[in-house]
Amino acid sequence: MMIRRSIIFGTTCAAVLALSSCREDSNSPGVEYMPDMYRSPAIEAYVDYGDSKHMDGTQGQKDEAGIKPVNAMLPAPGTIPYTKADMAVYVMPYALNNTPEDYERSAMEVHSPMLANKKNVLRGQEIYSLMCKHCHGDAGHGDGAISNNGFIAGIPDYATKLKDLPEGKMFHTITYGKGLMGSHASQLNQLERWQVIEYVKLLQKGITEPEFDKDDMLVVKATETAATDTTQN
Amino acid sequence: MLFTFNSFAGVFEGGDAAKGASLFKANCAACHKITDEVLAAPGLKDIDVRWKGKDALIVKWIQNPQAAAASGDPYIKGIVDKYVGTFGWMANQAVTEAEIKDILAFVKAGDTGGGGDPNAPKGPQCLTLDEINKAESANEEGDGTIWFIIIGAILAIIGVTAANISRSLKNAINEREGLAPLVERTYWAEAKSWMWSNKKFVSVIGLFLFCYFTVVGYRALMDIGVYDGYTPDQPILFSHAVHNCQNEIDCQYCHSGASKSRHAGIPSANVCMNCHKGVKKGTMTGEKEIAKIYDAIGFDPATGTYKENYQQKPIEWVKVNNMPDHVNFNHSTHVSIAKIDCKNCHGPQNMYTVGHVPTAEEINGQDDVVGLVKLERRPFTMGWCLECHNKKEVDLNSNGYYQEMHERYKSSEVGLRTLRDIMEDGEATVRELGGWECGKCHY
Repeated sequence: MMIRRSIIFGTTCAAVLALSSCREDSNSPGVEYMPDMYRSPAIEAYVDYGDSKHMDGTQGQKDEAGIKPVNAMLPAPGTIPYTKADMAVYVMPYALNNTPEDYERSAMEVHSPMLANKKNVLRGQEIYSLMCKHCHGDAGHGDGAISNNGFIAGIPDYATKLKDLPEGKMFHTITYGKGLMGSHASQLNQLERWQVIEYVKLLQKGITEPEFDKDDMLVVKATETAATDTTQN
Repeated sequence: MLFTFNSFAGVFEGGDAAKGASLFKANCAACHKITDEVLAAPGLKDIDVRWKGKDALIVKWIQNPQAAAASGDPYIKGIVDKYVGTFGWMANQAVTEAEIKDILAFVKAGDTGGGGDPNAPKGPQCLTLDEINKAESANEEGDGTIWFIIIGAILAIIGVTAANISRSLKNAINEREGLAPLVERTYWAEAKSWMWSNKKFVSVIGLFLFCYFTVVGYRALMDIGVYDGYTPDQPILFSHAVHNCQNEIDCQYCHSGASKSRHAGIPSANVCMNCHKGVKKGTMTGEKEIAKIYDAIGFDPATGTYKENYQQKPIEWVKVNNMPDHVNFNHSTHVSIAKIDCKNCHGPQNMYTVGHVPTAEEINGQDDVVGLVKLERRPFTMGWCLECHNKKEVDLNSNGYYQEMHERYKSSEVGLRTLRDIMEDGEATVRELGGWECGKCHY
């Protein structure tokens, strides 16, 4: 009698423990040793300070309603990053506004501050493949995967429709967006925007593989801003 | 269809809708829809009604909008006031009058153009939402513990009750036969006496239980602070499989901090809107999940504009990959300088929906990643970091960052000797360049 009773107890306990230890909850990060070393009050990107034990909810910046702590914030208005002198031109605020008039002005007034050298063009090519390719396509014909899958139609071809698009308008478009294209200013800083424009200027001529001379300068130097037909495009 | 040919008819009659379809796609579809939905310009539905009797003007308007606006037509003025401030001027379209005729015929025919095509070709290796859900639920056993505890408790109660009943029956028999009743003993005393009389059995079971709990305990300790398999529910059912695998959006398009900052970052809603301004219906979840972005940022999908004075709400994503506070991990070092593929640490993320911490098997099972460093330790542990720093070869010759270091080594006697030591086995690993120094990561 006693044997049976004990066996029932034992197997039940073993079964409960064995099965509970195998359980997996994808919503649980698991056990943390000293969690305050994992989720600390030190400023980190994308940590919910409302969750941290050290925070009573009064610290940090709040959302617009002033209730929840938010850590993804814009820099204070009017501030510029601290950089070396040769980079200063890339951190100055962009002077034109997001209006149709300023879009036309950008064709005349905005020009690339950089040389079309190997470093810039190749980095531009790299950025193009990260940031532009999925819509504009490998060679800029507007045949990226998103277009091919039928999500966004009618993306213009650099080599035909946008053949004469001046670089200033390109910069303005990347900065503020145009039509269905959104602003990419939060993803690309001004240096990267100009680098990718150096590469797009090659795509306008149908060149996908840039060539360089012995001084690392682009062999087919991109023609200076055409600025002929400002109403075009 | 519109096959009636009338030489006197205006631009709204007699075009070829089939020709118009391709012309529309090439010239208009980027901004216009043929429904009444506003994309990046007004929808073109009923355009023949709105422009009735202004055949010459609409041709002029399409070919050169700003010149047409100068004509002072009140309807054009209305359009300009309403849309140019938001979307800018329409570009001059290089289309002939005959082509405009075809396009307008296509618009009138009312084929639904643009938008997500559910039958769009998918990459062969991309999973659908159902397949992902199946794979993800296979990984989860669900929370069944509570049922085992309940069943265990019921069994225990039944067992104890049965034992007590049999005991009182035995007592009743003993009483009737004139024997002394069983001695009242506690359960523990009974268990002890039973264990004394079954020493062999108890010791075997005991040994088994001891080994079992040692292993379980050890594994539980090794799980502390290890996140593999962590896939928290997110406020939006975002799918990496749709974005990265099917639509080939690079990881760094959204996680744009990876190349220049310590954190890869979670994109803010404006990055979502770069595409979702136009893509209002998803392949897998329709409008439900995308509507959450619009709600956060204050976008009205019907008019294609942002609401004014809208109180934007943050999207509260749950952080998935969490480095302990005492470690400095820098994405830009690994992405920009070492040129490590994202998948080497984050696994086949493009096969999942929301963010997921991969297991070692998932990372090592990727055959398509060039230069994958296969590691045995569990992901996001210190042993894993060190294993990779010990294995990963550094490209001293063509990686610009290390070229500089290489030149400095070569410029002095001591440097040359060090370089010879490093290159003794034919390769320079991260460890040999100081990748195992405590201060590299703990500073």
